[in-house]
Amino acid sequence: MAPTPDAARAAQRRPRPRLDLTRWVRGGGLHAVLFAVPVVLVYLYFSWGPVVQGLVLSFQKTNLILPAEWVGWGNFEYVLADPGLLQASLNTAYFALLALVFGFPIPIILAVLINELRKYDALYNALAYLPAVVPPVAAILLWKFFYDPDAQGLFNSALGWIGLGPFPWLNAEDSAMPSIVLYATWAGAGSTAIIYIAALATVRTELYEAAEIDGAGIWRRIWHITLPQLRNVIFVMMLLQLIGTFQIFTEPYLFTGGGPNNATQTVLLKIYNYAFVNGDFGAATALSVLLALFLGLLSVVYYFVTKRWSTA
Amino acid sequence: MKRLSRRHVLAAGSIGATAALAGTAACSDPGADGADAGELDPSADVTISIGDQPTEDKPDQRAAFDERIGEFEAAYDNITVEPSTEMWEAQTFQAKLAGGTLPTVMGVSLTYSYELIENGQLPDMTPYLEELDLVADLNPLALDNVKDADGSIYSIPTGLFSVGIAYNRAIFEQAGLDPDTPPATWDDVRAFAKQIKENVPDVTPYAQLTTNNTGGWMLTTMTYSNGGRVQDDAGAEAVMGQETIDALQVLHDMRWTDDTMGREFLYDQEALRQAFAGGTIGMALQAPDCYFTVVKDYGFDPASYGQGQLPQGGAGNNGTLTGGTLKLFDAKATANQLLAAARWVKFYDFEKYYDEAVALADAESAAADNSPVGLPGLPPVSQDVYDRYLTWIEPHINVPLEQFAGYTASTLQLIAEPPAATQQTYAALDPVVQQILTDEGADIAQAVADANTAVQAIIDQAAR
Repeated sequence: MAPTPDAARAAQRRPRPRLDLTRWVRGGGLHAVLFAVPVVLVYLYFSWGPVVQGLVLSFQKTNLILPAEWVGWGNFEYVLADPGLLQASLNTAYFALLALVFGFPIPIILAVLINELRKYDALYNALAYLPAVVPPVAAILLWKFFYDPDAQGLFNSALGWIGLGPFPWLNAEDSAMPSIVLYATWAGAGSTAIIYIAALATVRTELYEAAEIDGAGIWRRIWHITLPQLRNVIFVMMLLQLIGTFQIFTEPYLFTGGGPNNATQTVLLKIYNYAFVNGDFGAATALSVLLALFLGLLSVVYYFVTKRWSTA
Repeated sequence: MKRLSRRHVLAAGSIGATAALAGTAACSDPGADGADAGELDPSADVTISIGDQPTEDKPDQRAAFDERIGEFEAAYDNITVEPSTEMWEAQTFQAKLAGGTLPTVMGVSLTYSYELIENGQLPDMTPYLEELDLVADLNPLALDNVKDADGSIYSIPTGLFSVGIAYNRAIFEQAGLDPDTPPATWDDVRAFAKQIKENVPDVTPYAQLTTNNTGGWMLTTMTYSNGGRVQDDAGAEAVMGQETIDALQVLHDMRWTDDTMGREFLYDQEALRQAFAGGTIGMALQAPDCYFTVVKDYGFDPASYGQGQLPQGGAGNNGTLTGGTLKLFDAKATANQLLAAARWVKFYDFEKYYDEAVALADAESAAADNSPVGLPGLPPVSQDVYDRYLTWIEPHINVPLEQFAGYTASTLQLIAEPPAATQQTYAALDPVVQQILTDEGADIAQAVADANTAVQAIIDQAAR
């Protein structure tokens, strides 16, 4: 990291001080260390403690009551040999893909549209953000009613008026995951849109004015000014969304419990089931470690790929 | 006023931090005092926590429960009871057990029995049950489920049940079926469902549990009804065969050929009972405790409730699945706590079977707040004791027993649940049932073969 200007100036002004304990203490060094110790300890214990503990658990067989037993790579072998892992991974990737293709552009469009409004934009802001305010558990229960597979269900009734359906929604293997993506897009669009709206406020208005003078229409303005100016935010949001979608849990857990026939079984749901239903904490942490490694790798690859794009 | 300098802030912070560290050190537990069970002293002051207190949305039941606690504390003034609404839930139980956040005693599914004993997650209760003279009172068949090879007893089994079929008598009448004749075979179930579909619009003639491990639970039950097993008796091998295929075939035909299973295929116990109470389900596999939930909690008309024995397949008379509740005692509790907790279980669950006055008072108070009295089930005590109890409470029985005749007259063999990793086995079978109900072209034989592989892997992992 480059030194801050202040630090650089200070370094120029003074010769490099000799190591002098009294001066260090009187200069506040001891206090500074004491000041930091609790924070560092708390951070180590509560933030890194569980991470390390998780790593340790992934090599053990334990029910947390009897003494733990080291099993080497046994847990990893077990989870990798689990016939359900492939499907759970594919389901997770499928969800990530659907969410990326359908869910990702919507907040951007929403943000641009709200940004174009001259009046009442605060109202639309609030309306767009509203789904994010509804607690997920309550929202999912509501959506379960919407997704009622009977012809009298809310969505099915509405679609019935234009001669469509009734659709089974969550009750068929083909439509269960898309139904969950539809909900997740509804639930997530608002809070993402808010971030884009904030980013849009930083786009310099002269650019638009210049483009307008050059005769650019709204679509050209969006394509040539708005999106390039939002590029860095979009890349970050995409990475966050990717990491988020690979950790999808609440929606399949509450909507379908992973069904029907494992069609919405995800990697995180599998981890949950290992730990909380089977009581197999070793297998759960082993799969968690694998997922963390995968996400770390994904982030690194993503960083280097988008770094090239954003400087281009 | 003098301005705060950086050094002052640092000094204040470091003093505060040092004080905080010292404070934490002083507060830290000098050693868990629960780990050592200690000497047994029946008259020492002791505090226990007990689970299964009814939640706030069931005020009658909660008040009755709290009243019993008051009576218990009055009878044993050295014992303080802290009630908790903690209850068994398959989705969170293991984590709470491992986290040590469960009360001193609470009810959990009997399916965990062998696993918990083997894992050292249950304390040896033999001395306390002997101290309370409780062993001889328990139903010996049920007691076998909570003993280890040496004959030590680790729990108290209660709330025993066997699965049958619950049906809506009003729907039966509307469909032109005899409400006093529940289906006896799977062919009957199919035929009845078809008749309901023809005559009663907008109801699900037959509904099946499929999620949160209940799908596997009921597939196991159906396998038993066809004379098959899911695991061998030792719990060492997955042995699903033609009987399971036949069970799934019935479901497949009712779903895809007859279309008599409605549109909802993701039912767990709570959701199914709600729909049943709403009058939209004709038949469903249920134990008689379903009556309690649908009538007491969801306001279902008692006159419409019918309960028959489990429909049978093949040559018939194959048997039904039996299960129950075990009282889970905290493995880390002290000896005095365990004795007090066992005393509570004896007081709350057993005293009524041996003391006519208690039986009458209990039945009266239950009847007064419209709770079912005399609900058929398998007794946690021996049959003679139970019969005597029933004669005591007869004037207060408010459950229409004649509507349970098909169930109570049953002589079906009672078959225990699969012994190894039971809930995991059920969890692995959920998707099989869901697949048959949501995929018309599903290959049933292949699905059962895959299920055997999956269950075998679970058995092996559990035995590891």
